[in-house]
Amino acid sequence: MSDNAIAGYADALFAVAAANDVLPTVEDELFRFSQALNSDENLQATLDDSSLPVDRRQQIVEDLLGGSACSTTKALVSMIVASGRSARLSSIVDAFIERSAASRNKTVATVRSAVELDDSQKDKLVTALSGATNKDVEVKVVIDPSVIGGLVTEIGDDIIDGSVRRRLNQLRENFR
Amino acid sequence: MRQRGIRLGLSLLLATLGLFAFAVPASASGETVGSCMAEVLEHDGHADLHSEEVHDKLEGCFEAPSPIIPELNEIIWGGGAFLILFVVMVKKGFPAVKAAMDARADKIRDDLDAAEKAKTDAQSVHADYESRLADAKNEASRLIDEARGAADQVRADLVAKAEADISEMKSRATTEIEASRQQAIADLRAEVAGIALGAAEKVVQSSLDDDAQRRLVDQYIDEVTGS
Repeated sequence: MSDNAIAGYADALFAVAAANDVLPTVEDELFRFSQALNSDENLQATLDDSSLPVDRRQQIVEDLLGGSACSTTKALVSMIVASGRSARLSSIVDAFIERSAASRNKTVATVRSAVELDDSQKDKLVTALSGATNKDVEVKVVIDPSVIGGLVTEIGDDIIDGSVRRRLNQLRENFR
Repeated sequence: MRQRGIRLGLSLLLATLGLFAFAVPASASGETVGSCMAEVLEHDGHADLHSEEVHDKLEGCFEAPSPIIPELNEIIWGGGAFLILFVVMVKKGFPAVKAAMDARADKIRDDLDAAEKAKTDAQSVHADYESRLADAKNEASRLIDEARGAADQVRADLVAKAEADISEMKSRATTEIEASRQQAIADLRAEVAGIALGAAEKVVQSSLDDDAQRRLVDQYIDEVTGS
């Protein structure tokens, strides 16, 4: 799937969400669904299995999102699965979030943490990242226990790794 | 040679015929007792047979002739035959015998010369054979020396190659042992590090309570802010 196709899907998602005036909600729900899909290989394989009927795969999406997502989010995910693009759903969602943030003149920073961050920490982190990158940063927090402690931030191609995992890996390298 | 033999044979045949022709029995030249007594009786038979004279003559017939001295007629006939045979032998037999003996001597001399020549040739051949044998022995000795030298060289080369191979194998084995040792050390170190880090990770995870997590996040934010 080319970058143009991903951007096309991202624009379509953005247009639908904006038209329904649920852009922040859809953005947040798609981001969480994307993270869940990335962490579950079986789910990803099932949604990408062309031998399964499209209806069956769409029903799985409906069951997963259930009442926790708005109808627009469910409709958009079902559309992507029905089109056979579920393997690239994560890239489409990332592009959509970038597109949405860009519409607000912001840059998305994906932050992985072992624990939930409170609002105060998120505000401080947004301020720190905005100052470090000279951009208006919008933070998306992903809970990742493998980080152990600290944070890992991805802004575009840049990665700021301050996790305990990195320090343990450095220690492991020093042992060799 | 053949004529000489023929003449010798004829001489002997002639001598034999002369002997038979002139030979006379001894009894033919003298009287027997009977003839003697008959002759006495014929001459003196008319006389008294009992006279002493006739009696002595008759007794004389019984007297034997001399056993050594032959009768005169035998001497004459024998001497004549001997002379004839002697002359024939001197004229014919001896030259033939002499010629045969000379031919025989010449033949023996020639044979001796031939034998001497053959002996000389044989000695020459023998000397040549001895010379060749000596040359062959020398050549064989030289070849043996060369073969021994070549064998020594081959052996020395093989020993040198074997020593080089052994040295290379030792070096390779030493290198492999050292590499294995280093690999074992690295594996052991990695294993120990894995165990230690696994334990450290568990300790860190168990010791990271909410306050510690918050401090780590705040520390991260401070580092990003200060960067």
